[in-house]
Amino acid sequence: MSDPLAALLGHPGLWRGAGTEMAAAVPTGFRRLDERLPGGGWPLDTVVELLLPSSGIGELELLLPLLRSLSDVGSGAPRWIAWLNPPYLPYAPALAGSGLDPGRMLVVRPRAGGGLPWAMEQALRSGACAAVLGWVNAIDDTALRRLKLAAAEGRSLGLLFRPAQCRDEPSPAALRLALTARDGSLDVEILKSRGGVPARVAGLLAR
Amino acid sequence: MSEARPAPTLPATGVSRQTLRLAGRVGTPGATSPARELWLAMQLPSIPAGGLEPLARQALRFTPRVSLEPPAALLAEVRGSLRLFGGAAALRQRVLAGLQAAGQPARVAIAPTPRAALWLVRAGQDHIVLHGDLLPGLAAQLPLSCLDWPAETVATLRRFGVRNVAELVRLPRAGLARRIGPDRLRELDEGFGRCPQARRHYTAPERFTAECELPVPAVTAGALAPGVSGLLAQLEVFLRVRASGLDGLRLDLLHRGLPATRIRLGLSRPSGNPQYLGELLRERLARAALPAPVMALRLRSGVPLPLQWCSLGLFDRGHSADPEAAARLLERLRARLGQTAVFAVHAVPDHRPERAWRVAEPAVATVPASHWPAAQPPRPLWMLAVPQRLAPPDFRLIAGPERIESGWWDGHDVRRDYYVALAGDGACLWVFRERPPGQDWFLHGVFG
Repeated sequence: MSDPLAALLGHPGLWRGAGTEMAAAVPTGFRRLDERLPGGGWPLDTVVELLLPSSGIGELELLLPLLRSLSDVGSGAPRWIAWLNPPYLPYAPALAGSGLDPGRMLVVRPRAGGGLPWAMEQALRSGACAAVLGWVNAIDDTALRRLKLAAAEGRSLGLLFRPAQCRDEPSPAALRLALTARDGSLDVEILKSRGGVPARVAGLLAR
Repeated sequence: MSEARPAPTLPATGVSRQTLRLAGRVGTPGATSPARELWLAMQLPSIPAGGLEPLARQALRFTPRVSLEPPAALLAEVRGSLRLFGGAAALRQRVLAGLQAAGQPARVAIAPTPRAALWLVRAGQDHIVLHGDLLPGLAAQLPLSCLDWPAETVATLRRFGVRNVAELVRLPRAGLARRIGPDRLRELDEGFGRCPQARRHYTAPERFTAECELPVPAVTAGALAPGVSGLLAQLEVFLRVRASGLDGLRLDLLHRGLPATRIRLGLSRPSGNPQYLGELLRERLARAALPAPVMALRLRSGVPLPLQWCSLGLFDRGHSADPEAAARLLERLRARLGQTAVFAVHAVPDHRPERAWRVAEPAVATVPASHWPAAQPPRPLWMLAVPQRLAPPDFRLIAGPERIESGWWDGHDVRRDYYVALAGDGACLWVFRERPPGQDWFLHGVFG
């Protein structure tokens, strides 16, 4: 009786959400968040979307452990961490103070907003960046898919910061998080995760 | 010839278009070429329009020793290149294919001495002769015309009953020298490898310049693409010959009656890849404004620089920086977004927050990590370029004040009290008030 079922489960065309072997992941540095994420952390070589009501609510602090571990490559120089169109300037003394080498940051601030999806794709595909942080508001589904392919090709992690209004748009990102601030702490809602289930983690970064 | 030695008869001399090889056979003493050389001769049907130099540059891809034989022949020493190109026959095929592609169908022969190779192509004999011993046997197939001697000399020899080179070298040497001159005799000796021949090698010019006229005047950047890629293909040959790359080049768009539009391209690392250079040029061309139709293109290179290679670690799965990829990304982004749109930030030891950092050139290669003490108290990850006045202060202070008073010596005096504040929308801000306490709050950073 179990034979047809086993045969069906072994079918190569069938993809099972849970329990499949997950790609490599980097711990987020927050135990409660790691428990909820498939693979136990940030996925690698793909695109992650972070939906924010406004900038500066703690999204960078959430990413600091990730950026630190991406910069720690043992021997050799770490790859760049690219900041595309950030709302403010990354502040070198604070980066150095939080364990990141400011010399390995690449800031891209075009005068006009055009060409951002293109620039992000180039940065992801080049293989020169360990992570690409992009503040790109207007981006369509096709461009997102291209970013995901570029990230896989360049073995880079794309972190896309988008306004909270994009919550209901479909997205090919491997992981979608909605961040909200509440009383000086950060609530993270996992909207979509490849191989995981939606969840909510409250009260990170209490300050 | 001083001795009346009959030319050695060899079994394969009559076989045309066939590789003649004597494996392991001991050569006739004195008949080997002085240094083991192998010369490839190319005879063009007519004098090429652009002269021999473009073809000589093409030939440099096969060997560094190329020699011009005006008006319409080229020589290349290929002994050292045989292994790389898979043997003499394969090499000859490649040369023929290259000449065909350049629109120059030519005769190609290979012989141990440059003069013998020239004789063969002039006589229309496309032989590959790998060994000097075989030349005397082939001499019977070489008419006197292939020697390229003056008509009266050839006529004199004909009157003796000499019809080919084999019969010529059989004549008594002393008498021959008297009749045709010692220089001609020396030519014969050089041809058979009995004495060396010094040849001047062709050296390509140190900078690349090429022009290309467009078939139709171009009004859009897209219409320039075929011309540009043609020029880049020539540039690639130029660079490959030198195992070099470029760190800059200039493309001039020539108009009728107007000064040329100049497009300069600067690279942070030398590159010799035509696809890559083409991509950068396309980006620049797409942004360039054409004041008038473009009639022709001119490409000039900078000084060729040696390419740098670096070894990658055995175990680092591509997770450490690759300077080549980094440089390429940097140039791509800058070509499209502008030079100043891409930069790095460096920390500067200064108490004033706005002077504690500076814009820097992104470091492509490894730089030692700058050691910066963990800031006490913490600094925001994001800075505003200019402090922004907060009209109605909608926040609550959660830490501070931190007093910063500095800079009285350079005219940028700063006297401020900084606080960490939590805004209504949940953002963590770094705000300050001027001292003595003013009423206005300024936003200077966001903790992010």
